[in-house]
Amino acid sequence: MKVESRTEPAVGAWEGLSRFLPQGVTLFATGLSGLLMLLIGVPVLMVILMSLRTGFPGENVPFTLENFATVYLTPRTYEILLNTVFFAISSVSITLLIAVPLVWILMRTDIPFKKTIYVLLTIGILVPVFLRTIAWILLLSPRIGLVNKWLQEVFALSDPPFNLYSLTGMAFVQGVSFVPGAFFMLAAAYRSMDPSLEEAAYTSGVGKLKTFLKINIPITWPAIAGVMVYLFMTAIAVFEVPAIIGMPARIHVLSSLIFTSTTPSTGLPDYGMAGAYGAIMLILGLTLAVLYVRLVKQGKKYTVITGRGYRPREIALGRWKWAALAFVFFYLSIEVFIPFSVLLWASLLPYLQLPSAEALSSLTLKHYIEMPNHVGARPFINTLILMFAVPTITMILSVLVSWIVIRTQVSFRGFLDTLVFIPHAVPGILMAVGLAYLGLAYRDYFPLYGTVSIIVLAHTINWIAYGTRTTNSVMIQVHRELEEAGRVSGASASRVLGKIILPLVAAGVLNSWIWIGMLSYREVTMSLTLLTRSNVVISTVVWQFWGSGWVPQVSALGVMLILFATIVVGTVRFALSRIGEIGSAS
Amino acid sequence: MISIRKLRKSFIAQQGVVNALRDIDLEVSEGDFCVLLGPSGCGKTTTLRCVAGLERPDGGEIEISGRLVNSPASRIFIAAEKREIGMVFQSYAIWPHMNVFQNVAFPLTQGQKRVAKSLVADRVRAALKRVQLDGLEDRPATDLSGGQQQRVAMARAIVTDSKVLLMDEPLSNLDARLREQMRVELRKITKSIGVTTLYVTHDQAEALSLGDKVCVMNFGEILQIATPHDVYAKPANLFVAQFVGEMNFVKGKVAGPGKVESPLGMIAAPVPNGMNTGAQVTLAIRPEHVEVSPAPNHGAATTTGKVASRNYLGDAALLEVEVNGVTLLAKLAGDTVLTVGQNAAVELPAHRWHVFP
Repeated sequence: MKVESRTEPAVGAWEGLSRFLPQGVTLFATGLSGLLMLLIGVPVLMVILMSLRTGFPGENVPFTLENFATVYLTPRTYEILLNTVFFAISSVSITLLIAVPLVWILMRTDIPFKKTIYVLLTIGILVPVFLRTIAWILLLSPRIGLVNKWLQEVFALSDPPFNLYSLTGMAFVQGVSFVPGAFFMLAAAYRSMDPSLEEAAYTSGVGKLKTFLKINIPITWPAIAGVMVYLFMTAIAVFEVPAIIGMPARIHVLSSLIFTSTTPSTGLPDYGMAGAYGAIMLILGLTLAVLYVRLVKQGKKYTVITGRGYRPREIALGRWKWAALAFVFFYLSIEVFIPFSVLLWASLLPYLQLPSAEALSSLTLKHYIEMPNHVGARPFINTLILMFAVPTITMILSVLVSWIVIRTQVSFRGFLDTLVFIPHAVPGILMAVGLAYLGLAYRDYFPLYGTVSIIVLAHTINWIAYGTRTTNSVMIQVHRELEEAGRVSGASASRVLGKIILPLVAAGVLNSWIWIGMLSYREVTMSLTLLTRSNVVISTVVWQFWGSGWVPQVSALGVMLILFATIVVGTVRFALSRIGEIGSAS
Repeated sequence: MISIRKLRKSFIAQQGVVNALRDIDLEVSEGDFCVLLGPSGCGKTTTLRCVAGLERPDGGEIEISGRLVNSPASRIFIAAEKREIGMVFQSYAIWPHMNVFQNVAFPLTQGQKRVAKSLVADRVRAALKRVQLDGLEDRPATDLSGGQQQRVAMARAIVTDSKVLLMDEPLSNLDARLREQMRVELRKITKSIGVTTLYVTHDQAEALSLGDKVCVMNFGEILQIATPHDVYAKPANLFVAQFVGEMNFVKGKVAGPGKVESPLGMIAAPVPNGMNTGAQVTLAIRPEHVEVSPAPNHGAATTTGKVASRNYLGDAALLEVEVNGVTLLAKLAGDTVLTVGQNAAVELPAHRWHVFP
């Protein structure tokens, strides 16, 4: 259907306009494509460029393959590649083991408290991964971890029973952190599944468990595989967990290696090496992205078949209700409750200790009250700039791109659609390193290094892929005939835009505007890669505090970060549900 | 074969409690094709789903082949997968990750009534042959047309040779021509294998042409169970008269035995025993029984009217005729010479009238 309507002439009825309007649109689309090619292409180009150069950024040296030789002739590189792959596979496995049953329970059964669980899952996304990682260190570190200390005390153990500083520990924290994202990606597939597909299995004489294994899982398999590839692609590039747990224990993966090459604790930055490592990541990312797109297409083929007369029906859990609730509660505990409680506890104490009468008597709000003195106003202002500038620029670009891709007949609209998908495949850390290199090597033409603007730019490039995906789907939902009905009613094009299209897309656009704002608010990897003294944001402040070992201050700022995010999202959800729009989780 | 006794079910909706089923009683004997007919929300699908075991009723009993499968009072509920039934869904529910063969073989390889591996292929092929899909075994399910999907769903439902076949509006997603063709085939298939069928539809033409027995439902109650002929010719009440086929309605008052006073004048009609003189009644007559002719006929029941509109259908023509301020719909042969505005004689044969309280 969609394809058909696209191939029809867009303005065939308007003879006067059709002669020059398409040219105007083409011109506009060309300009937009050019801008996006610069935005997305230049940082990627910089990564390739730096991998071919030695010395400092801006030093005029001839191209060389020396970096590649150094990197690929060292056995350690392969060790690290192996680490990366192992870390990614374990993380994704942990995620799917939790996310698939969770989706099934919430989407297909009559489990109580669904709304509350949704809200908690959304909060799970907003708790920054680095804060969760820090919380787990406070619990499971062999040296200071509260659980370890407590178990040692109770059972008089000489050695701490848990050690988070391992690839498995990293995979655990990362895997748990991926769950809400995986949940919302899979939810659509499970929600749109026609329940009579399950019922047909029951009436064929097949039980519930077998139906889940033989029908539900295979039908949603393209979606699961898509999520798997997407998460794998992300896991190869994530930085927070590898940096906070891995780096102190000298367990490196690709992303932490790239970071340490450009931001070494001692010595000089080596962008050449970072570029050579980045090249592997780039190739991996692009390959996986192609695979992902193909899987998503295959998944669409399956959804075509869902028929009409479809009513959402829930499976009555009966006695299993408590088991399902226990599973959900267990997951939410490790995702939200435990990390938040630990941070809250640590933030109220002069130093980290187990709960005791003495600890309770020394509870204090000091770290919260003194926070402004430690932080100052600048990081807060910078973060606010990010929260407004990033979603605004991203959504403007996304709406324009989607309009061209979905609504016009411009010949290269497919290319534009692919172009804006590239940031999905290029890890944020690479984009940031590329931008940093650009800012350092070409500061005369690109005088943004060390400003908030360069972070805004990095974030915008990173989330334009997400932004356009959502505006695409919003635009597709606004059927062309709605627009045409407006025109044949005698409304001018501008009135149709203002009175029909904008009101219809507004809620969807606003929703992702807020979401991108929140993602920008909690982002740390790119901000850290581009960090100088003058463009500190709150997330990087937390990072610096942690680097200095200020546990109570980190915890206090972390608690404030989480509470603020929860309040914003809670208010927005409430406000949006009041207007009767997009109360659904997205 | 299927007996339903005092079946009750209520849902909690936003407006409060909705009684979807109120004491449904139904017997379907072996080999019979029974159609549940009614408007949407009348409880027909809920009844079917209760029989399938996909819905739990609040009260009553269901027996399939002499086995009690559901009785909330004695805490009996046999799950859908253990009821040994076949079911065709409105959306067909063809599993998109399997090909035609795998879809049809599923009940045989995974279900309760498993058969030896060597027999599966023969059974599947036989079922596909019955629905005239032989040769398409290896086709992916996603490559089938609506009509083909419908046939696969049918083959899957009959492949286990279950004694009971349940169908939930299986033809409603097909286009008109295909629907009529499938109607004839459905009846042939079910009769040739002798399966007891319970069939849900809101389409009265489908119900009349398919069923051995038609069961008209509304608001969770059964209003009439009868043969298609009786449901059409002798509707048990006003709702059935109105829902099945076209009908003209005229308000009136009983004036004596066999006489009703109405805006059309005094009408001779079969007033049932027990209706006293002076009782308010509704008179009903089918359009094909309203006889309209150009020249006034002799005969007592003849009145005159004026043709108000004419709707030509090819084989027939529907005329709206105004008689004493009442508009009557009449169905005449397509080649009728009457035109709009013309005066005509209208005859309303006494034995064609139905009188409802």
